[in-house]
Amino acid sequence: MNLVQVLFYIMSFIAVVSAVIVASTKNLVRSVFMFFITLFALAGLYVLALADFVAITQIVIYVGGILVLILFAFMLSGRETLNVLHQQKKSFISANRVAALLLAGLFFIVLVNMILKVDANNLLWIKKALATSSVVLPTSDMTGNIGVNLMTQYLLPFEAISILLMMALIGAAHLSRKEQAQ
Amino acid sequence: MNIYLTYFAIGIGLFAFSALFALFGVYAERKVAAFIQDRLGPTETGKFGLLQTLADGLKLIQKELIIPAAADKILFMMAPAIIFIAVYMGFAAMPWAPGVVPTSLNLGLYYIFAIVAIETLGILMAGWGSNNKYSILGAMRSVAQIISYEIPAGFALVSVVMIAQSLNMQTIAMQQGVLSTEGVKFLGFWNVSKIGGIFAWNIFRAPHLIIAFVIYFIASLAESNRAPFDIPEAESELVAGFHTEYTGWRFAFVFFAEYSMMFLVSMISVVLFLGAWNTPLPNIGSVHLATWTTGIAWGIIWVLLKSLLLVGAQMWIRWTLPRLRVDQLMNLCWKVLTPLAFLCMLISGIWRVFLM
Repeated sequence: MNLVQVLFYIMSFIAVVSAVIVASTKNLVRSVFMFFITLFALAGLYVLALADFVAITQIVIYVGGILVLILFAFMLSGRETLNVLHQQKKSFISANRVAALLLAGLFFIVLVNMILKVDANNLLWIKKALATSSVVLPTSDMTGNIGVNLMTQYLLPFEAISILLMMALIGAAHLSRKEQAQ
Repeated sequence: MNIYLTYFAIGIGLFAFSALFALFGVYAERKVAAFIQDRLGPTETGKFGLLQTLADGLKLIQKELIIPAAADKILFMMAPAIIFIAVYMGFAAMPWAPGVVPTSLNLGLYYIFAIVAIETLGILMAGWGSNNKYSILGAMRSVAQIISYEIPAGFALVSVVMIAQSLNMQTIAMQQGVLSTEGVKFLGFWNVSKIGGIFAWNIFRAPHLIIAFVIYFIASLAESNRAPFDIPEAESELVAGFHTEYTGWRFAFVFFAEYSMMFLVSMISVVLFLGAWNTPLPNIGSVHLATWTTGIAWGIIWVLLKSLLLVGAQMWIRWTLPRLRVDQLMNLCWKVLTPLAFLCMLISGIWRVFLM
């Protein structure tokens, strides 16, 4: 095993273990902080996949934005709301867990099915990319590549997303505005 | 194996530097404060009180580490480490001299921007973990402020990146002096590739970058929680903000982080706007001042000098201006700095396309 493989296994171990803790812990705030470790390990996996731009974007958006937003929501809501979670019944199978168990089970079946069916060593699209030599090397300029593609091939989705975000922004500003006195 | 030893040596060296800087930063801060308030500051320990902060540090290490009974122990213990490591990791991509950079990262600036954002998470951890109203109020104020001010800071940085066409800190540094391979123009009309010096710095490559520099400087004050943006630890209202409950070396780490952050943001503005490790002295005729004062040793000297000058300005501002109210702080960010930063970015695009 070379160093990259060792790093891959360390990162994926951290990602999986911390994700399990996120899902199982009763302390919601701790689970959010644990989620941060999951995201960091995922960023490490992205770096190993030569997607360093995606890795850093992941940290900027999730850690700098979404996690802090979730934590703000926790801190602004009272302790009573958070304590509801502790008062749930301890039994593993109960009526209000059927939906979650069903969803998790079905998703697990899909995943296992996919892993068994996919022949990872000779995928068609990877072979095509290798044949046309449109692959990313560790030395190639990733950011420039992403920028050029966003502004040429994927311009329409990019603009559509920006309009969607704009709508969300205007909506949020409207909702948080003070009501005018009638 | 040797290459890993070098990595470790660089890491330890950067840590030693940030610790040393924090020690003398605190001393300098107290002396500057004393000068501005017409006092003497520390004078007793060592010559001119130079050893005062060292003595304070020794005292801090010996102190008992108290964990409040109601605190979330894991979060409380981890927070100072995360706050410090976030800032310390930012130094990994900072260029010190031509060819001297810990990691010549292709995405250097973006990486620094991302890794420093993790500090907010550490602050929230400290605030929530302490289980104390002052701490949590301080943490929320601090995070709200840092996240808001990241927007004008980010756009000010983007306006430089658009002119420099690179996110690599070393490439951006290289462009601002006599070592640049592409032509450098002073305000877009006078080719100064051979003259170098202060004329080749980014703030003079395009006039709007001076505004971008001021925006970034103000935003960086807010990001390192310095006065006039120090409502997160407003002593008169919140005791000490998010680090109220910390004692001993945990408190010392929070302090290290604050002073390292001051130096880091100053160094970022030096690299992006003030010519990085390039000399301010231009070549005049046959007197090649710029060529003589460019090199590894000179580079480190210039970077240190310029960054310390900016740190000095931060201290000066802290002891001169009063603290802003929350609404004033947000008004300044959203109604003044953000539109100005957007404008800078727009002008950068036009400048790059039509004038370079």
